Amino acid sequence: MRKLLNELRERLLRAGIAPRHARRYIAELADHLADLTEEEERAGRGRANAESSALIRLGGIDELSRAMVEQRQFQSLCARAPWAMFGLVPLVLLAGAYFVSCLILWSGWRIFLPGTDTPFVRVDGFAILYFGIGRSLYHYAPILIGWGIGLVAARQRLTAVWPTASLVLLALAGGMAQVHVSRPSVPGGIGSVGMGFDVGPSVGGIPFGLTHALVILALTVLPYLILRFQMDRSISA
Amino acid sequence: MQENQTNPSFTNGVPELLILKLLQQREMYGYEIVRAIRARTSAVIEAGEGVVYPVLHGLERDGELTSRRRTVNGRSRIYYSVTTAGAHRLADLTEAWTNQAAAIRKMLTGGHHEKVAQ
Repeated sequence: MRKLLNELRERLLRAGIAPRHARRYIAELADHLADLTEEEERAGRGRANAESSALIRLGGIDELSRAMVEQRQFQSLCARAPWAMFGLVPLVLLAGAYFVSCLILWSGWRIFLPGTDTPFVRVDGFAILYFGIGRSLYHYAPILIGWGIGLVAARQRLTAVWPTASLVLLALAGGMAQVHVSRPSVPGGIGSVGMGFDVGPSVGGIPFGLTHALVILALTVLPYLILRFQMDRSISA
Repeated sequence: MQENQTNPSFTNGVPELLILKLLQQREMYGYEIVRAIRARTSAVIEAGEGVVYPVLHGLERDGELTSRRRTVNGRSRIYYSVTTAGAHRLADLTEAWTNQAAAIRKMLTGGHHEKVAQ
């Protein structure tokens, strides 16, 4: 019984059904199967016979999966618009994270370091926490978003093409993003904070931006591969 | 293989019609719905019982059914009931199928529809 439902869930997910719809369908089928088995037992069948009769009455795996897959409304966004889910969404999230990070840097500069030429100076007290939030967001946003992509792709049993392309794109954007600050034009004035994309200076012949991108890629691809491996193992078990 | 397939244009809306009709009277959960359909159609309409759920979920998504979880006899069940939109859809489907059934009956009886209907 459990094997049939597990196999059905895998089929639904691979066909692009959203995990929440697949989960609910499987849960209701499991309840239905339990009811059918009880009914068959009440009719005088032994446990094994009751279970096999209940399975026949519930429907074959082809019939059950087709009934769900034919309803396009249950398809996940990943299946309907992978370009949006794995192209647009990560970049928008990354842009949002960088915007907030720059805003924190700019506002912190105004609040804690008025009159200085740059916000990249030694700070203390609450300013450490304030700037630390912005710095963490800047450094960890690509990795956290990459983990999210890996999780979504693994849950949805997607082929590796879209998530891999997405993780590479994210790593390149994250690796080459550079924060630029401009000094105040007048003494005591307010400077500006901006972002650009640059491979940066070379370290040992390799551009720093590329090294950074490779680090981000490694940190995001690895958990995705582990998740996929675990899920494949749990299916075959 | 071929004899199990149905023409979608002829069966389109039948499961929805039966489910909405049943749930119009009272809320039910999936297993109850299937049993009721089997009982009321004298088991003429039969399919894998599990296929009722995608239909229920589709109707719920379209706003024609609403569901709530209830615990009965220690078992948690999802009960479905008809919404106002579902009642309108039922009326539309009933009218469409009554007309179609009458037309088919007339065709099969060579125009003696009234006699057979009585």
